[in-house]
Amino acid sequence: MRLFSRRVHEFAGAYALDALDDAERERFERHLARCPSCADDVRRMTSTATALAMAVAAEPPPGLKARVLAAAAETPQLPPLPSAAARRRHGRHVTRSAWFPRLAVGVAAVGVAAAVVLAVLTVSTQNRLNTVQAQNQALAAVLAAPDAQVATANSSTGGSATVVLSYAEQKMIFTSTGLAPLPNNKVYELWLLSTGSARSAGLLPAPTDGKTAPVLAAGLTSADKVGVTVEPAGGTSSPTTTPILVMTLPD
Amino acid sequence: MPSPRPDRSPPPQEDTDLERLLALVARGDQDAFETLYDKLSGPAYGLVRKVLRDPAQSEEVTQEVMLEVWRAASRFDPARGSATTWTLTIAHRRAVDRVRSETAASEREQRSAPFPFSVDDVAETVEASMDAEQVRRCLEGLTELQREAITLAYYGGFTYPQVATKLEVALGTVKTRIRDGLMRLGNCLGRSS
Repeated sequence: MRLFSRRVHEFAGAYALDALDDAERERFERHLARCPSCADDVRRMTSTATALAMAVAAEPPPGLKARVLAAAAETPQLPPLPSAAARRRHGRHVTRSAWFPRLAVGVAAVGVAAAVVLAVLTVSTQNRLNTVQAQNQALAAVLAAPDAQVATANSSTGGSATVVLSYAEQKMIFTSTGLAPLPNNKVYELWLLSTGSARSAGLLPAPTDGKTAPVLAAGLTSADKVGVTVEPAGGTSSPTTTPILVMTLPD
Repeated sequence: MPSPRPDRSPPPQEDTDLERLLALVARGDQDAFETLYDKLSGPAYGLVRKVLRDPAQSEEVTQEVMLEVWRAASRFDPARGSATTWTLTIAHRRAVDRVRSETAASEREQRSAPFPFSVDDVAETVEASMDAEQVRRCLEGLTELQREAITLAYYGGFTYPQVATKLEVALGTVKTRIRDGLMRLGNCLGRSS
């Protein structure tokens, strides 16, 4: 084992090319978890392997796309794993926060949870049920987070938005009600705004009875604000109009 | 300090777009998945076919790969590589698993050695031609042993002990040649940090 540890660096190349057998691969992956320089080597060499792959790209058979898309529509998705960073944050947050404010948030979160579940059920159709179930698990993870908080804001053009967020999960659930209807060639786009940057958090789905189904956004930090803009259908990679809503999030 | 990046596909901007698409896919967005399929199915299919050779099996494995991308999109971690690298890592692993579970080992022995490239091995799509030319040039810059070890392992799907047997060199030699060769290839492709 000692010998393996000393020579383990040499395995990085073979690992990046999948040239280890199953037992060696597992052993190397265990080592990788506590060897940042090995992880760096592997990252670089895997990226090089990607160039080898791109060099042999070929046109896939024409019928494949339709089969893959149809199969995907029937295939449930895995819920996200909390990242190591999120778990660390989470631990810190729990020791720091008092139980009382969290209780108050918990009560509010239950109300939002009911609305979220209702909205999800309303928009679900049979062939999307699997997708919705997978998304429900992700939503439930945010709602159940010990540091979950709720925030609301009004839109400058009517209507309002409610967000349930967890900094530990680095996620938020965005719902809205009564936003002004848009023409077919426009869409509401959700943003995570921080100083000097706007990251798209997805498009708001078409409303049902004035409410939009919950949108789950990942990568949330406590430095972010939440914004909504009106964009051309399909969305954009950075905002092109003044936000109709900007929400400051609690600490 | 930015490292020089020679022309290659996918450029950094495209990878950022793919990562954004993958984040949408993770939330069950089927339209985003269709766009992602259009961008990544060609490289995935080409790689799988390179390893498996058989078109019907390659199609089957590519379908599994793209479904795995759909299923596991939420597990993609940008800190560990681009969306393209993530997808093609899944593709290669699946192809290799398939090739190693094949009982007809003798059939594999009869397959032609994966190097040197013939013209129809590379650049089957216009997008890939730039990469293919650059990869070919960089592979030619390696020692023969480095090049053979890397192409047998990656395109042939062989384990490094199998590569050692084929090339009639010691195990340790293959390991270090693969590692050194990949480092050199990475430098040549402008991918090293």
